[in-house]
Amino acid sequence: MKPFVAQSKAEILRLVRSPFFLLFSVLMPIAFYSIFAFLNGADAEIGGTTWGAYSLMSMTAFSLIGTAAGQFGIRLSYERKDGLIKLMKLTPLSTSAWIAAKITAHLLVHTLIIAVMFGYSAIVFDTELPGWRWLASGSWLIVGSIPFLALGILLGTIRNTDAATAVSNLVYMGLSILGGLWMPLSTFPNWMQKLGALLPSHAYASTSWSIVANGSAAWMDVLVLLGYGAVFLMTAVFVQSRRENA
Amino acid sequence: MGPIVFDHVVKKYGNREALKGLSVTFPSGQVTALLGPNGAGKTTAVSILLGLSKATKGTVNVGEYQAGDRILRQRMGAMLQESPVADGLQVREMLNLFRGYYREPLPLDHLLVISGLEQKANRRVSSLSGGEKRRLSFALAMAGNPDIIVLDEPTTGMDVESRMRFWEVIRVYAIQGKTILFTTHYLEEADTAADHIAVIADGRLVAEGTPQSLKAAMPLRKITFRISGELISEQQLLALPGVQEVRRADDLMELFSVDTDRLLPLLLQSGIQMTDIQIHAAKLEEVFHQLTRGSAESGGSIR
Repeated sequence: MKPFVAQSKAEILRLVRSPFFLLFSVLMPIAFYSIFAFLNGADAEIGGTTWGAYSLMSMTAFSLIGTAAGQFGIRLSYERKDGLIKLMKLTPLSTSAWIAAKITAHLLVHTLIIAVMFGYSAIVFDTELPGWRWLASGSWLIVGSIPFLALGILLGTIRNTDAATAVSNLVYMGLSILGGLWMPLSTFPNWMQKLGALLPSHAYASTSWSIVANGSAAWMDVLVLLGYGAVFLMTAVFVQSRRENA
Repeated sequence: MGPIVFDHVVKKYGNREALKGLSVTFPSGQVTALLGPNGAGKTTAVSILLGLSKATKGTVNVGEYQAGDRILRQRMGAMLQESPVADGLQVREMLNLFRGYYREPLPLDHLLVISGLEQKANRRVSSLSGGEKRRLSFALAMAGNPDIIVLDEPTTGMDVESRMRFWEVIRVYAIQGKTILFTTHYLEEADTAADHIAVIADGRLVAEGTPQSLKAAMPLRKITFRISGELISEQQLLALPGVQEVRRADDLMELFSVDTDRLLPLLLQSGIQMTDIQIHAAKLEEVFHQLTRGSAESGGSIR
């Protein structure tokens, strides 16, 4: 247990000390949130709630998709290339304990990101929600980030680090924009709305919108996201095991 | 812990055989060099020993345990050819993290001293130079105070001073009775640092023994002389009985042969005008060259 705790701590340090973390997980989402909330008016109505709360959910989801899928995937790809994964296999720490420590570290850092984003929103835009809706939406954003960690593991199987970086950024930006996290899907042409509604990013954000607006989860979206997570994980395991047997 | 034993190990990558039935024993408590040209199978052998890949056929054992057994992870430390670091951490943090994996780790200060990184303890590992990362890899390999130390081309990338310090430290561990196995391209290192040398070429063992016994078992000698008169072609010299190789640098000729007693009179009778004739025992490098060249030419078998 002690090595696991130490490993989780080390992985947290590695994650938050990365210059990409501050920029892509914190500063960029806060900047976009501020722009969207300011331009549309933080108190203006949207989807049964205010822009201040609606866009907060979108941009926190945007940050967490980038952290869980993008940064996690790119890091894993580099660790394979640099030989760190090989080196870890020589130590008594099992690979599964190492991956579990990485996931634990991510979930704790995701919690920190949510606290920072929610705190910023409450202070700067005076966003007001019942206490339990803050709690429920925050909890959902943490739980719902797990399928994106599975996507990160899948992206991390890409051998070429340049390709992994390019694909990860494309996937995370594409999912965020097409899933309606930047602009609501209703502003898109009809076919893009249909496409966007099928994406895991939309399912993720949509449940948090539903919680802040109605206080209830969008259960269909929860199932869709779970399904995606299972597919990502199974594909990653398949790719990995096929490689090991080659 | 017992010796490291490779028993008829075959490793295939697709159709290519990297190891073709390697059988070799690395004695416990000794420093052994695994010596061989590029592509001989050194790294493949090391990665099977470390449990990173599996032998297609044959077995590798460390004492009573099979290579890859989890128990061995507590007892073995290794430097791979790459020097990976956990970016984001300081030298001190990464060393302490690794120390935490083992039941009886070496003290942090000791690891900093053997790697010469005392002044860099608070530096981020990603900011270290290539040579410093190499030394950090050594400290990481030693973090668990292993009984068996496996080093794949350990000194590549180190400067001369670091290299000297490194072998001094290895000497100390050898005196403590640790089993040390290293691969190297540097024949000088194998000669001076190892108690025992195993030479492999083309996936097989071609020779083994102490540096002295290797030289004795392959009693290669060389006759050197300067040509004072008419120049003579290398082909003519190679035609003399027992000459294995000829090297020349301007008027200085080097003839390699296992039977210089027979060669010398023939050479004197040949009419070549020679000065400054000397006979030397060949250096280990030259013995090694003959061993691995012979193996490659005859398609792998030893002549």
